[in-house]
Amino acid sequence: MPDPVVALRNVSLERWMRDEYAYDLKNQIFSILEGRHQKQTRKAVLSEIDLEITRGEKVGVIGPNGAGKSTLLKTICGILYPTRGEVSTAGNIVPLLELGAGFDPDLPVVENIILYGVLLGSSRKVMIEKVPGVLEFAELQNYGSVPVKVLSSGMAARLGFAIATDVQPDILILDEVLSIGDEHFKQKCRRRLDRFWQEHVTVVIVSHELEFIRQACDRAIWLENGRVAFDGPAREAVARYLSAIERQAMEAIASLR
Amino acid sequence: MTGNPSGTAGSRFYELVHILTLRNLKVRYRGSVLGIYWSLLNPIIMTAVYSAIFSATFQRYYQGSALRYALAVFIGLVAVNFFSAATTQALPALVSGGMLLNKIKLPPAIFPLSMVVAQSFQLVVGILPALAIITVLIARVPYHVLLLPLPIAALIILSLGVAFFVSSLYVFFRDIPYLYELVTFLLWLTVPIFYPVAIVPEQVRSFLWLNPLYPVIESLRQIALDGTMPDFRLMGIAGLESLGVLAVGWLVFVANRRKFMDFV
Repeated sequence: MPDPVVALRNVSLERWMRDEYAYDLKNQIFSILEGRHQKQTRKAVLSEIDLEITRGEKVGVIGPNGAGKSTLLKTICGILYPTRGEVSTAGNIVPLLELGAGFDPDLPVVENIILYGVLLGSSRKVMIEKVPGVLEFAELQNYGSVPVKVLSSGMAARLGFAIATDVQPDILILDEVLSIGDEHFKQKCRRRLDRFWQEHVTVVIVSHELEFIRQACDRAIWLENGRVAFDGPAREAVARYLSAIERQAMEAIASLR
Repeated sequence: MTGNPSGTAGSRFYELVHILTLRNLKVRYRGSVLGIYWSLLNPIIMTAVYSAIFSATFQRYYQGSALRYALAVFIGLVAVNFFSAATTQALPALVSGGMLLNKIKLPPAIFPLSMVVAQSFQLVVGILPALAIITVLIARVPYHVLLLPLPIAALIILSLGVAFFVSSLYVFFRDIPYLYELVTFLLWLTVPIFYPVAIVPEQVRSFLWLNPLYPVIESLRQIALDGTMPDFRLMGIAGLESLGVLAVGWLVFVANRRKFMDFV
């Protein structure tokens, strides 16, 4: 068995519940003085996850909303730290989570390309050289000196995709980003992603497009309530997930009767 | 952990702070280099107003010279202005960087740090030359100019420590800005900026030393305005207090670092 590039060992992750949190020092002090202070609670988002991904594998992550899919990706990226267990990764991880998060709306497009590229792991020098190529791919050659806030959301997404995929990742992390721009640009994105697919880039992707997962991934992980419900061939994972949904729907209908 | 194409963790950290500092400066000045000198306008106007009101009363504490009074006020103002601008801008830095922290693996420290570095750039490029000119003209000891960076460094370290502290607190308590406004006002008032320390009652005077800005400003004044050898003990106090504040601020920051992600 080859070395894993991503390994999660018995990973559990709890997050502080912020919806119950007041964010207010004054109220916190008053509530302590009046003896009605509630201790902050933590909620388990991932539980006891064991996972190994080997070089070049294309892994889909499926499951209902709130199952912990995005949290799992963030844990692999090193954005979130596991409460228990261990995460180890090897190689350059490029996260493609909601494109354009790194843009400063007041700065011109060119400055933003450099800024976003450096945030994603390049150096400033390298990014300055890459500017023309990124502008060309995003088809924004005439917009270099325009502030990003002037761009349409589609243009901004194109720009984000162009920057993020211009680096050579060892591990590419995708969170529902395949459908951006018009049909013409979508195909362009597909082609660029296909290149990663053919090269030996490891890809971990969260998607609700089960058909895509079934076709494009070798393997899929089905998450349910922060636990791995199934981990195996994509075809089988999708089939099991779908039948579980069907079963739930049937039960729901039955309970209505 | 995560490898990266731009080399070691140290150079990655440098790249990040560099790019964010550039962004902060660009957003602030919009390509106009003169913007940096604009920051001198506020202390100059304030100095003029203080001089007009208090100079007649207070100049006898400044060798009877209205100019010396004005320069002492100016030096105090630029230092305190730097401190409050740097820390007030760093205060929301973690929260406004929160979106990025949630998308890309980044060391959270780069956000408050780059705010302080941008402000420090303005201090070194805009204000330090003014202080050097004052030193040459008033203290008339050219090598004193070489001593100016010491209290300036203490001032930056102090501001950085406070920046780490308040930016951490702001993640959890969003009403901190109101409180912090009061704190900066108290710090401003308890440093002898526009009044001579001699008018402060003896019993109260020793409490003024609790304000870490005081030894910094007093050192700057000695270097820039007095021809005699400045008090190195005072500079030592300024340095130690600043490092102490930095240590505390950093410890608070590090202790909460992993919790930030759940609250920003």
